[in-house]
Amino acid sequence: MSDKKKQADKEAMKILRQQRKQSIDRVRGAIKSQNKDIKSIKDALKDGGKTVPEITAATKMPSSRVMVFVATLKKYGMVAEGPKDGDYFKYELIDA
Amino acid sequence: MSSNKKESTSEPRVGVYICHCGGNISDHVDVEQVAENIRKIPGVVVSHTNTFMCSDPGQELIQEDIKSGKINRVVVASCAPSLHELTFRNAIKRADMNPYLYDHANIREQDSWVHHGDPATAKATTLVAAAVAKTKRLEPLDPIRVDARNHVIVIGGGMAGLRAALDLSSRGIAVSLIEKSPFLGGQAANLDKLVPTEASAGDLIKQLAQAAVEDPNIQISTCSQIVGFEGYVGNFKVTVQTHPPDADTRRQIIRGITSDKSQVGKMIPFVGYFPSAVPTSEQTRIIDTGVIVFATGFKTYTPRQGEFGFGDFPEVITLPMFIRHMAQAAANDKHLSFNGKKIRRVAMIHCVGSRQIPGIHEADENDYMNEYCSRTCCSATLRAAMEIRENFPKTQVLDFYRDIRTYGRGQEDYYDRASESNVLFFRYEPEDSPLVEKNSSGDFPLKISVKDTLTFGEEIEADVDLIILSVGMEPNPITGLVDMMKLPVGSDRFLQEVHPKLRPVELANTGILLAGTCQAPMDISETCNAAQAAAVKASALLGKGYVELDPFVAGVDLAACSGTGACVDVCPVDAVKLKPVKINGEEVERAEVNPAICTGCGVCVAECPHNAIDVKGWTLKQYEDMVDAIVAA
Amino acid sequence: MSRELHFDTLVVGGGIAGLQTALDLADQNYQVAVIEKDATIGGKMIRLSKVFPTLDCASCITTPKMAASAHHENITLFTYCNLKSLDRDSPESVTATVTQKPRYVDPDKCIGCRQCEYGCPVYVPDEEQGNFNLRKAVHIPFSNAIPQIAVLDMENCSLCGKCARVCPTDAIDYFEQPEDFIIHAKTAVLATGFELTPIDQKPEYNGGKVQNLITSMEMERLLAPHGPYMRVIRPSDGKEPDSIAYVQCAGSRDKTLNVPYCSRVCCMYAIKQAMLLSGALPLADITIYYMDIRAFGKGYEQFYQNAKAMGIEFVKGKIAKIEQADNQYVSLRYEAQEDGGRVVEREHDLVVLSLGMVPGWTPQGVCQVSCDTDRFIKSSMPQIAPTVTDMEGVFVAGVAAGPKDIVDTIAEAGAAAMEASKYMTALGKQKAA
Repeated sequence: MSDKKKQADKEAMKILRQQRKQSIDRVRGAIKSQNKDIKSIKDALKDGGKTVPEITAATKMPSSRVMVFVATLKKYGMVAEGPKDGDYFKYELIDA
Repeated sequence: MSSNKKESTSEPRVGVYICHCGGNISDHVDVEQVAENIRKIPGVVVSHTNTFMCSDPGQELIQEDIKSGKINRVVVASCAPSLHELTFRNAIKRADMNPYLYDHANIREQDSWVHHGDPATAKATTLVAAAVAKTKRLEPLDPIRVDARNHVIVIGGGMAGLRAALDLSSRGIAVSLIEKSPFLGGQAANLDKLVPTEASAGDLIKQLAQAAVEDPNIQISTCSQIVGFEGYVGNFKVTVQTHPPDADTRRQIIRGITSDKSQVGKMIPFVGYFPSAVPTSEQTRIIDTGVIVFATGFKTYTPRQGEFGFGDFPEVITLPMFIRHMAQAAANDKHLSFNGKKIRRVAMIHCVGSRQIPGIHEADENDYMNEYCSRTCCSATLRAAMEIRENFPKTQVLDFYRDIRTYGRGQEDYYDRASESNVLFFRYEPEDSPLVEKNSSGDFPLKISVKDTLTFGEEIEADVDLIILSVGMEPNPITGLVDMMKLPVGSDRFLQEVHPKLRPVELANTGILLAGTCQAPMDISETCNAAQAAAVKASALLGKGYVELDPFVAGVDLAACSGTGACVDVCPVDAVKLKPVKINGEEVERAEVNPAICTGCGVCVAECPHNAIDVKGWTLKQYEDMVDAIVAA
Repeated sequence: MSRELHFDTLVVGGGIAGLQTALDLADQNYQVAVIEKDATIGGKMIRLSKVFPTLDCASCITTPKMAASAHHENITLFTYCNLKSLDRDSPESVTATVTQKPRYVDPDKCIGCRQCEYGCPVYVPDEEQGNFNLRKAVHIPFSNAIPQIAVLDMENCSLCGKCARVCPTDAIDYFEQPEDFIIHAKTAVLATGFELTPIDQKPEYNGGKVQNLITSMEMERLLAPHGPYMRVIRPSDGKEPDSIAYVQCAGSRDKTLNVPYCSRVCCMYAIKQAMLLSGALPLADITIYYMDIRAFGKGYEQFYQNAKAMGIEFVKGKIAKIEQADNQYVSLRYEAQEDGGRVVEREHDLVVLSLGMVPGWTPQGVCQVSCDTDRFIKSSMPQIAPTVTDMEGVFVAGVAAGPKDIVDTIAEAGAAAMEASKYMTALGKQKAA
């Protein structure tokens, strides 16, 4: 790719970002809060596996939101399902 | 001869692909362990697992390994080969490899669904190892291509048969329609108005039957039966016998017909469409055909003597009997009448001869039980109930049901309208079915009592003048055809398709298709859909002008054959013949196989004293290697 | 100028009905175009766990048909496309305007490696998993999707450029625009399927907004092999449920929702799910609250009786009220028919609404085919040729013509293919004459 084309693409991207500013700002806000939630869940798991109610207690997040993130972290290989504790499964951090 | 082929000189490089089946297999079999075990077998160059081998990414896995030259043999370990053998053969073919250099290990039906834990994993390993052993001995094969006749025999002249015949003819396929009675229209002739359109069944029969009669491409034979059958897809030979109806049948079937000829081309209510004068002499002929469509339909259940009073009391009749009565009843009275008597209250009982439960219902004299739902009776019953209420407002209707199954488009409306027009509903449990008794006092002939769950188990008793039994469907008795053509029949006695979703209108017998209620209870819409689905399959099958058969047929090793004829004697389908050949200038006889007729059963292989005959793709040597692999595992 | 393409038949909808129709036509050597609104073919069926009454996994039956369609030399698939208009110009020709929605990924370059997905920093509720977990803004819809091509969800994209940087084939294109193209064909088959009955207007069910009250399709995902949790647990807190209930006819046979008809499949899928649940959670109590059990197909009644024998509890009674109870339980109120008719309240860990079917698409403003009072496409000859519509040479298959199960849908797809091929044979004859 020529430098000229690269430059043109950069310009076009700039314009596109301008046009989509509102939605980009919204998404950036969502990324921020999502990253914060993921971090606090991961922090809660640092000292060992926990169930969703235990994570909820530790993070003060709504339990259904904890569940969604735990399921997602599991899907992307950051958390694994551990042993069962009563009616609940414990979730453990996978060393990255 | 085959040992000199190029393919067998190149070292077999086997690729093994093990399916999780989304947990169906991997929940019970440690598929990774199996892959690991198999990897150690000499000749296995790759051993992969995938969540769904049959999915596109799964198939691509195999194709990439073939295309890159890594492998030249394939083993897939997954579900039963009847489900997906063809899927994988096609995938291999698309990767430009001979599709018969592949074997299939069934580790689902034969393993994960019946075993668990370590034994399941061990068995999977054994099954796959055996398949690998066989695969190493496989040689490329080509399907047997035979010309197909552009002709279909449709058995049964009811709605399904007529619909299929017309569709096939429109696609340029010649059709012979074989009907055992003198009439067309089948059981639909016993219906009057249809749910939900209120169309007249007779009109619809006439519409289809007339079109079929006028179609030069459709040859209709009434009073005809199939008495002989041989051949294979594309080239069946079917013997059809036509005979004049006997005097009894004539009297019984041709109700109200004074002269045959004057009725030709007419729809006779509750009898059928009369396409042509009945034959006067017996005639037998052989029809060559490419495909056979079964449209042999159903018969209504006949209640046992005493079942809800049937046969004991003349006031207990079946729904078809009642529908015919209603069609002829004059609607000029406030009361329905039956047999000259005023009907003040009528009871209708659902699920008679349907949804039978072992331990609650009695089996018939052949020990059969109709455990299935007949699907059409709820709507038909409610339609009849509505008709009574609308035409004879003084006749009360009581409806005794288990579940109301007005599932179809426009059917729920009948249920609503029946409730609105004051049909009284009572719900019973099968173990507390309604009891019908003679009324010793009062002026009603019968009384019916039931434990009604709608009123929380209250015992209800009512005096009635008439009881109508909503009888279910049973497949027409076609055991002669079933035995002759060796057709699969389900535990419900209906013909059994290969798979309800993958191959819903096909029987395991290639080239024999299913249309309508010979397969399961259906209403006319569903029957016509099924018939059209069968017709489209037949059209696709015959469209190319040829059919391809699996190459798993017997082949003779002429070097070993000494012409004993043992194979000829045992062949159940006459596929092997002795042919004169010249060997070293000497005229001798040697066995020759007609691959189109051979079914690959292998009886000849067992019989040959010189091991001179073998089934391709399933050779003795392949079996030996499989057994060795199983023993070694 | 828009791209113009020619086919024998245009099939609208790439679910099981559309695919079966396409296969049955293609096997007769007709050239078929299939347009599908989603980024993958497979329709509702590929999203199911297992299917009744054989309990085959849905994937085992659907993926081969999807793959067969994708590889058939006579079938061309157009995914992520909307039908803008469909008109008949003459007995020989229908013309469709189709909008290719932007994937922001070049389908010719994408190799399905998922590097973009792993790189993307935005997590979005995954509608393919009942929103029980999150996906990325750029993603492949699911593991057995066809085609295996990523799609970028621009609404949730921050245009950070990460995916474009990691893509090994330079397939990401943020500037893609919707593009119309024209399909000319002789016939069309509408196989536009269904959506679940919306129940947000149902105050008795709290509009569905009760924790651990889920839809039947969501339960399919919980039971599916690639489900959001890979097991059945409560979405609110991950508890393994001890008691699960089904509310039948939730959104069917209900005039208040303008769905007076029976949706035909809910009894059977509830029984199927109950069976799968009792396999997955042997200790759980499973209850089905129903009005009538409609197990009418081949082998269905036997399936129902087996479920009863397995210990699944069937309770006759229409659920009058659904509310949140303590500890995220769901409370159901009903009149117990078998218990003297008294009003009973019972709590369950997890409650499934057996939702019905409403049309997935309306022809209004797109093509001149009529609908019936139930809003599904109307058949002109419902008994003897159910797939024929009032638009010449345009046929209908599957749930587009009213609720039906997969078995009946596949039969009807074959019937629609038959009608379309008959129509084209007749055209050919006219031409020859």
